[in-house]
Amino acid sequence: MKSLDELDKLRQKLQQDMQVRDNDHEVRVTVSMGTCGIAAGAREIVQAMLEELKEQGLNNVALTQTSCVGLCQHEPLLEVARGGEKTTYINVDREKAREIVRKHLVQGQVIKDWTNPEK
Amino acid sequence: MEELSQHILDIAFNSLEAGATELTISVWEDIKHNLLQFEVLDNGRGITAEDITKILDPFYTTKSFKRVGLGVPLLQEAVDRCGGNLKIKALPPGGTSVTATFPHDHLDRAPLGDITGTLITLITGHRQLNLVYRHRYNRQTFIFETRQLKTLLRGIPLHTPEVLVWLKNYLNLKIIDLRRETNEEFGRAG
Repeated sequence: MKSLDELDKLRQKLQQDMQVRDNDHEVRVTVSMGTCGIAAGAREIVQAMLEELKEQGLNNVALTQTSCVGLCQHEPLLEVARGGEKTTYINVDREKAREIVRKHLVQGQVIKDWTNPEK
Repeated sequence: MEELSQHILDIAFNSLEAGATELTISVWEDIKHNLLQFEVLDNGRGITAEDITKILDPFYTTKSFKRVGLGVPLLQEAVDRCGGNLKIKALPPGGTSVTATFPHDHLDRAPLGDITGTLITLITGHRQLNLVYRHRYNRQTFIFETRQLKTLLRGIPLHTPEVLVWLKNYLNLKIIDLRRETNEEFGRAG
């Protein structure tokens, strides 16, 4: 899907969807985008998240970025915030990012193994 | 950093942290004159002449929450590795431009890499940002502006995942087309 005609069709489809969709963001995903994060692959995490959010049809997720949070050795870092609950995933890669969307954002299950440094 | 596009993202992220709402990223590739140059230009709060001389020091940063600033030193290292040059200028009344120039065919020049990924990442995380991207490859030029795309979307948010995935494919195609149309026999891709 690459042409401007296809964009127009996509826009029409999304306009119909928006009429029935609650547009408030229920979930916020934040990717650390400091120099350390970028060098570790944070840019690829953003792209993988976008692709999986599209696959899962999730438009109620705000995908945002922050600078270095001081845990450079655990980059790429990704934080999921839903209501008052926050979960930080460490050493995320493309596959993990997709799985976080499927398990945490769709099914509501925190993947605890990816929230602690590996022993 | 393995790719110049990662350096571009890093420099652009600095701009956004400096309050920029307008960002122009330009890439020039001129095979005949063996030149690859990129420029990141912003309307942020700018940089003082004193800071320009200090930011090449990895242990200098203007940020209070950390003690190192590696972005510009890493870019300087990437430039030095292949005999290029780096210029940082304050743009009165506000704003900064960072221009890095490389010999295109140098074996130690990092590849341009996933420039589309860099643009998509910037757009994804910064909803108020107006981004202009210019890419000139020899005599062909491609220009993309978020303002124009927002007009075409007629109210659909640009940050909708479906729109951003479309945009990623669109930008990839347009940037590949730049090289395809010039029929270069030699020269490094990217």
